[in-house]
Amino acid sequence: MTDTQYGKTVAIKTTAPDQKQGTKVVRRLLRQPLTLIALAWLLVVVVWAVFAPWLAPYDPLENDFMNVLQGPSPEHWLGTDENGRDTLSRIIYGARVALAVGFGAVIVAMLIGVPIGLLLGFRGGWTDRVGTRFVDVFDAMPGILVAFAVISILGRGLAPLLLAIGLMFCMNFARMARAITMAERSKLYVDAARVSGLRESSIVFKQVLPNLASPLIVQAAIMTGTAIIIESALSFLGIGLESAVPSWGGLLGVAAAKLGVQPFMAIPPGVVIVLTVLAFNVIGDGLNEALGVGRRKPFRRSKKVADNVAQAALVEGPAAGAVAAADAGGFLTPTGPVGVPEGIVVAPIVRDDEDVDTAPADEGNVLEVRDLHIEFQSVEKGTVELVKGASLSIARGEIVGLIGESGSGKSTFARAVLGLLAPGIGVSHGSILLDGVDLVGRSEKQLRGVRGSKIAAVFQDPMAALSPVHTIGKQLSEPLRAHFRISKSEVRERSIELLNRVGVKDPETRLNHYPHQFSGGMAQRVAIAIALASRPELMVADEATSALDVTTQAQVLDLLLDLRDEYGMAILLITHDMGVVAEACDRAAVMYQGELVEVTDSAAALFDEPQHPYTKSLLSARERRPRPTKEVAR
Amino acid sequence: MKTELSTPVADALLEAGRTPLLEVTDLSISYEARSIFRSERKNVVEDVTFDILPGETVGLVGESGSGKSTVGRAILRLLKPSAGSISFDGTDVLGLGRRTPLSYRRDVQAVFQDPSMSLNPRQPASMAVTSALRRHGMGDQAERARIAAETFDHVGLTRAHLERYPSELSGGQQQRVAIARALVLKPRLVVCDEALSALDLSTQNQIINLLVDLQAETGMSYLFIGHNLEIVRHISDRIAVMRLGRLVEFAEAARVFDDPQHPYTRKLLGATPAQHPSGRDERRAVRAAFAKAHAEGLVPVV
Repeated sequence: MTDTQYGKTVAIKTTAPDQKQGTKVVRRLLRQPLTLIALAWLLVVVVWAVFAPWLAPYDPLENDFMNVLQGPSPEHWLGTDENGRDTLSRIIYGARVALAVGFGAVIVAMLIGVPIGLLLGFRGGWTDRVGTRFVDVFDAMPGILVAFAVISILGRGLAPLLLAIGLMFCMNFARMARAITMAERSKLYVDAARVSGLRESSIVFKQVLPNLASPLIVQAAIMTGTAIIIESALSFLGIGLESAVPSWGGLLGVAAAKLGVQPFMAIPPGVVIVLTVLAFNVIGDGLNEALGVGRRKPFRRSKKVADNVAQAALVEGPAAGAVAAADAGGFLTPTGPVGVPEGIVVAPIVRDDEDVDTAPADEGNVLEVRDLHIEFQSVEKGTVELVKGASLSIARGEIVGLIGESGSGKSTFARAVLGLLAPGIGVSHGSILLDGVDLVGRSEKQLRGVRGSKIAAVFQDPMAALSPVHTIGKQLSEPLRAHFRISKSEVRERSIELLNRVGVKDPETRLNHYPHQFSGGMAQRVAIAIALASRPELMVADEATSALDVTTQAQVLDLLLDLRDEYGMAILLITHDMGVVAEACDRAAVMYQGELVEVTDSAAALFDEPQHPYTKSLLSARERRPRPTKEVAR
Repeated sequence: MKTELSTPVADALLEAGRTPLLEVTDLSISYEARSIFRSERKNVVEDVTFDILPGETVGLVGESGSGKSTVGRAILRLLKPSAGSISFDGTDVLGLGRRTPLSYRRDVQAVFQDPSMSLNPRQPASMAVTSALRRHGMGDQAERARIAAETFDHVGLTRAHLERYPSELSGGQQQRVAIARALVLKPRLVVCDEALSALDLSTQNQIINLLVDLQAETGMSYLFIGHNLEIVRHISDRIAVMRLGRLVEFAEAARVFDDPQHPYTRKLLGATPAQHPSGRDERRAVRAAFAKAHAEGLVPVV
């Protein structure tokens, strides 16, 4: 292991041992009470199916013409059918058919559908275009009709039934497999497999298929329930299995015919069908939750983020939108500083008001953070202190760099300043004075007035901060209208001016464009323009240049410097890159494991006289080993 | 680990003489921009020419969107160029037909930008190495496992890492696995496409050192694609600078740095985050001057 000491601590913290992956899913599954009940019912059905000969009081095929169509009695708990066969026994034996058909049909459907979906999704292009139309056509045929056709050709029996139901379902799996494969196909690991020379078939089945497993399992669970319903329906119609074979649908069919004579007969099979189908659906949902199918797929995540942002942007103006995006991002990404595990109720953290420094803030400082402690309460680990007594002030028009690695607490610090701590995280001590007013403990409504007008934020991923469904012009006009009483044409004029100012070319046309039409650097400029719209006194830039290449990073930093010079705006620049500090910051603060270990008076001082060992290690990380000389044949 | 060239490799290099390992000539790559009414072809790479000698590292720099990664992908045969030629060790790479011969796959390997994406999240790390070995018919299962363990050792991982899943490894460790995957086939050229960009600074240094050491040992060549000129310079013998799909400069690394010919190269140099705050105002002025010149259309395209 050659990772540095500091790198190593992070690596260990952010990774989890894998063997627990499977057990983790099971544990999460067992934490859902509804799933537990469903699993218990399913267990009952499985036990019936396996131990039917021992559990059933009578032979399910034994006719007793002395006792036909009876109601419940001590001899026959659930009564008898028109041939005097015991209903309870037939229901217990019927579990065999139900499970065989349920699982069998889904397996058949997956065997047909998944390879089709994989092929279409992976090949793409014309194969996909033609193939998908074919899938559409097949899917448009009424399922029951397909089943009729298959059974009328092959005759009644288990195998034709499985094939019939399997054919009804297979296109569903094909579509799903195709959609996921298309998303996976463009991922780098597929390119890497190509470069290794792997065969296409091996890439599809060995590399891509495992990534489809979780969503397919979830879908399979739900489809199993549906298969049981269809089997029941077909048996009810009399084209399922031979009528002598005990099946729940068959029982129901007989019961329907004899409804006038013995109405009770329909109830037992009806109840078991409903319960079993419901159980499969509940288990499917539970699996979905436990496997985190939705969470694993980034495109779904970003959509969710975008939705939140879109909402926030409309309600509170884009500054809040940007903030919501970052919030959602931090909450969902595994490397984000903190997130509250689902289903865990945490007590709100209230500031301990004793010995809070109430001295008025210095006029020259736009922000004064005094002895700030931020805590995170979790049921598993108790109270964790994320920020341990940080004090930092920012003068008007000053750019202060806050450096630290991921997990050091620097983003938590920034969120506290913005009043955007995630649920379960709160300021336990200290104060945050913005323009002399303490922000800690303010209500969301009070904070809203501050955000946007006095303080604005720019985050790492501009694409998440901008709403994908609104034009840039719309998103720019929101804060302008919220903060200034100006006419529509003035809003447009100002928007153009702002875009011009941040270096977006041809702003008149660009106003009508959507975020996806911008490159990363340009989108970040737009995000800055939106943050600027309300003329904030303090801008919090949280890793705002980290996702950009060095050229674009330099341009965005230059822009921030220019804006500072022009508007006298102060900037809290949060970064992990010492280069950013060297290029843009007046002063710097270093955060390590929740503590501000070093605050310097100038950026140069941090480089020339680092005090703390962590700062020194950050600086030495920048030094490169001299390259060995080599002779290249030339 | 060795830091100098071992003699046989140096000899081999000298023997190889001036024959380039890879020659890219007038390479153009275009993609089709479709709309409902018409489709037009847009060039993302135009007339790019450069070569890589055996044992040499050529850096390919440019900002995002300059087409540098596209060139790398064309060399890896992950996309098809529209014009020009790529020749590897005398064979015409573009004329190879739809299926890429295994020998080319063995000789030309890649290390991609984001190791968390370039490793299959559902497979243990060792599979990246063993499945490549298996495809190339090297060894039986036990032998492949042994080679995988050895290669992991080689890139600074331990055997404990073999059975871990990518999500259980740090970024640096993931990139080491990706390097192991490339290395195990004993390639002659490795395309490192932004191989350091997703890593933090200290990890970057470790990976650079690893790449340099491995090159010294095996004598393979690198095409090192990146946006940070400072890092690229550290590892490259020659540097090619790309802008808007065209090569604006291709020269010895030291010369690109000390005497950049194209104004764009000077701008790239100015954009590199400095080691120290001193002189930052001058750097800012250089960048502002370029931006002004660019806005006035004074920067030549090539």
